[in-house]
Amino acid sequence: MYSKIILPIFFALFLATHSYAHEMTPTYPKLTQSYIDNVYVANMKLFNRRSDVEFYKIEVFTNDWKPLPFAAVSKVINLKYSRSKLFSVYIRAEDSEEVVYICTESKVFKALNQVTLVSSRICSKIKQNE
Amino acid sequence: MIKKLAAIIFLVSATPLLAVDSPIGGVVQPKCSVWTDVSGVYGHPLPYKLSTLVADGGVLASIRYDIAQADYYKARITHPNSFSSSPALNDSVAWTGSSIVGQVSVAAMSAYEAAKVTYNNITEFNMTLAGTTWFIVSSTAQYGNTKSLPAGNYTAMIKAECIAK
Repeated sequence: MYSKIILPIFFALFLATHSYAHEMTPTYPKLTQSYIDNVYVANMKLFNRRSDVEFYKIEVFTNDWKPLPFAAVSKVINLKYSRSKLFSVYIRAEDSEEVVYICTESKVFKALNQVTLVSSRICSKIKQNE
Repeated sequence: MIKKLAAIIFLVSATPLLAVDSPIGGVVQPKCSVWTDVSGVYGHPLPYKLSTLVADGGVLASIRYDIAQADYYKARITHPNSFSSSPALNDSVAWTGSSIVGQVSVAAMSAYEAAKVTYNNITEFNMTLAGTTWFIVSSTAQYGNTKSLPAGNYTAMIKAECIAK
């Protein structure tokens, strides 16, 4: 009787695959005036629950997915597994009308087997001031 | 006498209890999490073919999207059209692949499959409901005109994106 219950549970646990997640908030960040004239800033939070990833690249795009220049402490964030980090993205005032997406993309390590790697990218949308 | 003294000491030492409200606060904000549940593995059913299809001895990639608030995000999945690492290849590789809706936490999410938009090697799903959706991604590569693939390690990249609407 126990074998009918315990064995399937054991095999389910044994076969369970690990899950890895990538999160970024807020979904709709606001650009606010930074401490530098003519430079706006968006404050973001990144959470790494991918044990296979330690680096995330920040990217900024227009509505047509054209990359825009920006500044950050580092354009590639080193973030250990299960840690979160606050980061700021600085955008020039002249680009502030064009900027739409702020994204982070996982940078995966080169694998040595016949596999498909999954690179995740999360994009927040700038909430323009009404 | 000792009993009375003990009772008095006990009463004097008793501290008054103060009842205060202890509110539990929380903010629910729209959020998207992209989970890599299963990274795919290529099977090698024929000398010129690599495929993640189960029938070809591969393992399909499974990507999970958790959406905290309805209608804030769209999912965009790009299946591979090149190897990110491989031995030197001197002939062309024909790529095929697909992204389909797998398990869903809300039955109505099954409609994502019919409403998906596919172009090139990209598939977009409009995430109109809150909850969890699993997407199954397949990839097949066929080398040259049925030429044998050189021995070595092959890796290809699936890109799973969650884009605020």
